[in-house]
Amino acid sequence: MIEARGLGKNYGAKTAVSNVSFTVQPGKVTGFLGPNGAGKSTTMRMIVGLDRPTHGEVVVNGKPYSQHRAPLHEVGALLDAKAVHTKRSAYNHLRAMAATHGIPNSRVKEVIDMTGLGAVAKKRVGGFSLGMGQRLGIAAAMLGDPQTLILDEPVNGLDPEGVLWVRHLAKGLAAEGRTVFLSSHLMSEMALTADHLIVIGKGQIIADAPIKEIIDGRGQIRTRVRTDQPQVLIGALANDGVSSQQLEPELLEVTGVEPRQIAYTALQNNVLVYELTPLQASLEDAYMQLTQGAVEYQSQDLEPEHSGATAGEGK
Amino acid sequence: MSSATINTPTHRSTNNSGGVNFMRVLKSEWIKITTVPSTVILLAITVLVMVGLAALGAWSVTMFADMTSSVPEGVDMGEVPEISAMVASVPGSGLIFGQLLIASLAVVLIASEWGTGMIRSTMVAVPGRIPALLAKQLVFAVIAFLVGAGSAFLGYLVAQPILATADLTLSLTDDGVLLHIINTGSVLALVAVLAMSIGTLIRNTAGGVVTSIGLLMVLPILLQLFSNIAEWLQDAYRFLPGSGGEQMVATQIMDGDFNQWQGALVLGAWALVLLVASLIVTKNRDV
Repeated sequence: MIEARGLGKNYGAKTAVSNVSFTVQPGKVTGFLGPNGAGKSTTMRMIVGLDRPTHGEVVVNGKPYSQHRAPLHEVGALLDAKAVHTKRSAYNHLRAMAATHGIPNSRVKEVIDMTGLGAVAKKRVGGFSLGMGQRLGIAAAMLGDPQTLILDEPVNGLDPEGVLWVRHLAKGLAAEGRTVFLSSHLMSEMALTADHLIVIGKGQIIADAPIKEIIDGRGQIRTRVRTDQPQVLIGALANDGVSSQQLEPELLEVTGVEPRQIAYTALQNNVLVYELTPLQASLEDAYMQLTQGAVEYQSQDLEPEHSGATAGEGK
Repeated sequence: MSSATINTPTHRSTNNSGGVNFMRVLKSEWIKITTVPSTVILLAITVLVMVGLAALGAWSVTMFADMTSSVPEGVDMGEVPEISAMVASVPGSGLIFGQLLIASLAVVLIASEWGTGMIRSTMVAVPGRIPALLAKQLVFAVIAFLVGAGSAFLGYLVAQPILATADLTLSLTDDGVLLHIINTGSVLALVAVLAMSIGTLIRNTAGGVVTSIGLLMVLPILLQLFSNIAEWLQDAYRFLPGSGGEQMVATQIMDGDFNQWQGALVLGAWALVLLVASLIVTKNRDV
C-alpha cells in the first residue's frame, strides 16, 4: 500500500508535483497515467526516497521508504531501466544489490530465469538492448520478493512476448494481494492491465477511480450510423444540439447521445437508418478528454477577461 | 525480525533475511568494485608501475652514491639529504604516480555511479545512503592501502639486488624503513578517501578527477611558484594535502617541516572534512 498525502516537489522555481494525495491499494493493479512532464516519475522517485518531497509525505506499507529495515523486501522499483553500471554484468549487478539484504545467490538465479535473462546474464549490461535492460530492471525489482511493486514504463522497449509477460506478471502479483503501481504511455496496454487509474496532469491529480468508471463516465458515447439521407439526419440531430460527423457518403459518427435517441430522431424525420452501432469508448478517448478538460478549463479561464475587454471597447 | 513477520502476508517469500546492515553493504560494495574489469586492471597497473619506479629509484640512488663517493674530500656539496635517508625512501618512489592513479580511480568509482544511473539502484537498496558511501570508502581505502604498502614492500624486495651493486643496504629494521613502507599505503588510503569524497560532491568523473589532481598535485606547484609574493603562502604550503602526504613517507625530517604524524594529521584532516561534507550533502540532496 502506498499513501501520498499533500505530496509536492519543486525543482527550484519549477513545480513538478503540487499537493498530490492518493492511495494505491493492495490486491489490484493501479495505473499511473499522465502526459510527459506531468510528474509521474518524480512522484515515483519520491516514493522510494530518491527525491525528497518539498512538502507532504509518502509512506509505503505504513512507513517512509527509507525507514524500512529491509526496503527491497518491501518495495521493488523499476524506475529507470538504465540504473545499472554499463561495464558490469547483469548477474554481478543483481548479486551486488542482493548482497545489501543478504539475499542468497539462488534468488538471483531465480529472478534471472524468471525474466528470461539467462543467456545474457554474464554479459556486460552496456551491450543490452532497451528490452533486455527493462528485463534486468524488473529482475532487480523482484529480487526481494517485495510486497509492493513500482514499475515506471515497464513495457518500454519490450517485444510483444515481453509486453504480455509484464501484463501477466502485474496481474498475477496483484492477485496474490500485492500492491502494483505502474505507469505507461501505452493506453491500450494500460486498459488491459490496470484495475484502477490515477491520472496526473501538470503536477496534480486529475482522476483517481476504477478504470471502468473512467472509461464509462468520461468517454463520450459514439455511435456509427448508416443512412441514405445523411444530410437530413445531420440537420435533424443538429436541431437537438447533437454533433455528428460524416465519414463516408452514407456513414455518420454521432457523438454524445444514446443509439435509441438517434433512431427516434430518424423516425420522426422519416429517415431510413440501416446501421446503428454503438462504439466502445476506449481508455484513450477517456484519457484525451480528461487531459483536454484541463486545457479547456484554462481557455475558459481566459475568456471572461477577453469578453470584458471587448465590452469595454464597445462602450 | 518479528516486525517483519507481523505485517507479512502468507505469500511473503521465505528469503526475508533481516534487512540491510553494514557488513552486507560492505560485501555489496566489494562485489561492485571487483566486478568492473577496468578497476582491477588499473589496480594491477598501479602496483606494476610503483614497483618499477622503486627499482628505478634504487638505481638512481646507486648512481648518486657513485657520484658523491668520487667527489674529493673537502668539496662543499651544499645541503644534500643523507644517503641513508635516500635509500630508506626507495620503496615508495612511485608514490606520486600511485596517488595519481588511486585518486582518479576513487573518483571514477563513485562518479560513474551517477554517470551510469547505478547510484539510483544503490540508494534504493540502501536508502540511508550514508552506509553505502561509507562502505564504498572503506572498501576502496583498504584496497588503496594494500596496493600502496604492498607495492612499497615489493619495491623493497626488488631494490635489494640493485642497491647491493653500490654496496648500499636497505633493511626493514633500519630507521624509518618500515614506517615508510606502511605509510606509502596510508597515504594512498587517505588520498582515496579524499578523492572519492570530491567525486561524491561533484558527481562527475572528469570534474572530480581534475579537482582531485588539482588539489593534490597542481596546487602545491602553484604555491611554490608564487611563494615569493607573500610569506603566508609558504606557510600554507605545509598544510596542503599533498605536503601532508609527502611528510608521511619522509625518511628524513628537515628543519621546520612536519614530522610523519603531523603530516598524517594534515592529510587526514583534509580527507575527513571532505568525507563529512560529502556525506552531509549526499544525505540531503536528491539522487
